[in-house]
Amino acid sequence: MSEHKPIVLELNEVSLSYHAGGKAFDHGMHHVLKDVSINLYESETLGIIGRNGVGKTTLLRVMAGILAPTKGRVKMEPEKSASLLTLGLGFKPDLSGRDNALLAAMLQGSTQKQAISFLDDIKDFSELGDSFNEPVKNYSAGMRSRLAFTTALMTHVDVLLIDEILSVGDAHFRGKALAAMQGRITGDQTVVFVSHMADQVEKMCNRVIWLEHGKIVAEGDAKEVTSAYTESVARASKAAIEHQA
Amino acid sequence: MPLLQYIRLIDIMARMSLRADASRFFLGYVWWILEPLLWVGVFYVVFVTIMGTREPDFLMFLATGKLMFVWFSKSVTHASNSIVGGKGLVGKINVPKTLFPMAVVQEGVYRQAAVFVTLGIILLSNGYTMTATWWYLVPLMIVNYVVIVACACLAACLVCLARDFAQLISLGMLFLLFTSGIFWDVRTLDPEKMKMVLDVNPMAFLLDAYRQIMMHNTSPDMFHLLTIGAGFGALLCMVVLFMRHRSQYLALRALTA
Repeated sequence: MSEHKPIVLELNEVSLSYHAGGKAFDHGMHHVLKDVSINLYESETLGIIGRNGVGKTTLLRVMAGILAPTKGRVKMEPEKSASLLTLGLGFKPDLSGRDNALLAAMLQGSTQKQAISFLDDIKDFSELGDSFNEPVKNYSAGMRSRLAFTTALMTHVDVLLIDEILSVGDAHFRGKALAAMQGRITGDQTVVFVSHMADQVEKMCNRVIWLEHGKIVAEGDAKEVTSAYTESVARASKAAIEHQA
Repeated sequence: MPLLQYIRLIDIMARMSLRADASRFFLGYVWWILEPLLWVGVFYVVFVTIMGTREPDFLMFLATGKLMFVWFSKSVTHASNSIVGGKGLVGKINVPKTLFPMAVVQEGVYRQAAVFVTLGIILLSNGYTMTATWWYLVPLMIVNYVVIVACACLAACLVCLARDFAQLISLGMLFLLFTSGIFWDVRTLDPEKMKMVLDVNPMAFLLDAYRQIMMHNTSPDMFHLLTIGAGFGALLCMVVLFMRHRSQYLALRALTA
């Protein structure tokens, strides 16, 4: 279905490795991504699933143009903007939630006027109340994720890259965030959604890619890929338990 | 990123940081004035009360040198850590990496404005007069600014490439503090040595020029000043080109090393 739409972002045999310093193994080289090829089509929601540390976040950073691949090519239409939505970091802890939101909006290309006009909506949706004017370092993890999610939701980008962001926050906010996300997804928004939680990915995405040790293991229909992934995780944990016994 | 947006972001980042900084202290913005005054107080205790310096000018000589040197040293030291310290943002959005040191430099400009006014008031209330020669402060400060920007961007890059540079930079600042003629007068050296110090160390030349203008109503050697400006301007161009072309490499270094 999505194959008929124009390609927004194209990854062609992308590999990424770097020197981690030290001479631990392979002369200190880390191979994070190996020959990954992905086409992202306009207004689709692509899921990327895999366990922690398999290169999901790095893949998103390559898509956002934050990191350059060591090998291979990344092609994106020049007038399109992509932004990465992550948890935790990304804030300046000494600044208030308001200042951080303003800064994030402006860094993503909004003018100061536009950015200021987003602030009230961000404050309302994030339900931060008076804490919105307090330094982010005093926030709980849940409050930070609410601020991060809302800021990204309110500022408009062509390709939204979401990294595990819906896995925290309380149940009430998570429901609200999911609903808002689904509103964006059913619209024209192109989204890449990364998670290690199979049920979320299956619910949100049309197409899913399963990543293991920096390589694509499976790609295709959301239901098929997520169930194959769930089985593999279950097998691995069963093996681990038997090994212990 | 359009230039106007870039400049506005630098300004906003600088002002937000100043506000956050001020809110951490009970005395807030008062520290901008208090800190330079305390420096002069320390100099008074050490050099006048304890060491019994007889020269009446010496206190003003120290204050001018130290307070103008602090502009450079604080800006460059803080900027050196700016990209690595901003890795939360670096890992989130592909922004020009010069944004980080430039915001720190802009913060320094605002702070230094307050320090400079304080210094001016101290000088004027000690019998020095403001004359037309003080107009030479304009080109002098512009060149000083270019030197700071070039060194700040270079330092931020170097620390990004290898954290070890942070150690060298703080040691380098200490070295400059003692070799730039802050506690001693380059003009008391024999002429050959004086020429060497001024030629080799641009900071010594700049600090001497501030004193010549504000304390002795003498214009600085404009050719020497412009040479410093051109040299550091060229250095700045090279560093900025590097940072633009290797933006993603710098991001990788900031995120992984």
